[in-house]
Amino acid sequence: MGVEGKTYPAVSSVIEPERVADFARSIGANSDDGVPPTFAAVYSLGTTAPYLFGDPEAGVDFAKLLHADQEFEWVRHPELGETVTSQGRVVSDISRRGMRFLTFEAETTGADGSGICRSRTLFVIRS
Amino acid sequence: MKRVERAVTFTVDQIAAYAEASGDHNPIHLDGDFARSVGLPGIIAHGMLQMGLLAGVAAEAAGGAGRLRRIYCRFAGMVEPGDTVTFAAEGAGPGKLALSAVNQRGEQILTKASAEYL
Repeated sequence: MGVEGKTYPAVSSVIEPERVADFARSIGANSDDGVPPTFAAVYSLGTTAPYLFGDPEAGVDFAKLLHADQEFEWVRHPELGETVTSQGRVVSDISRRGMRFLTFEAETTGADGSGICRSRTLFVIRS
Repeated sequence: MKRVERAVTFTVDQIAAYAEASGDHNPIHLDGDFARSVGLPGIIAHGMLQMGLLAGVAAEAAGGAGRLRRIYCRFAGMVEPGDTVTFAAEGAGPGKLALSAVNQRGEQILTKASAEYL
């Protein structure tokens, strides 16, 4: 149903040390301990979800969107200064009782194509 | 393994700092009038800010952020500025952690939360 199975363009981003330091500070962590795990919200989910939100075919009403759950799985964590590539896809798109349940995954890989992170998000869109 | 616990009182400034650092500028986290116009009590904290704090206690329990290999949670409740949330992690078998986040009223704001580490 809907946009189930749809894959969005891959997007590359640099793990910028200054950005990581700001992010770490905002969650009470320290980037001296490495890239905070949930910086994946930026390099994985954050780089890919805008394609979904901006997709007229997906028709996501951002004002009615709830982030219902989130999972990250890592093979490893990215290094400061590393360039990573993330690609999003809609795993399922189900409407039930006036609510829409959209499961969105993003796969992040390193420059050599090896796995870094998989982000899996359930978005609920209220009617 | 000892239980790792951290109580955080959320502030408007912290939520704004997270919006800036994460790039998530959804106005429900920044603009009280906008938030109320979509049926919220006022600005609310990002779910991912809550999860970032949860990952912090998970990382400490795991012996370092670099050792975390999985984390999951459901965003079950709203967090407003002034709310105090206690984030906790404790061992749940080899390489596994049970995680929780409870506000000052005893409500679970993140549920089904767990992590795995190396």
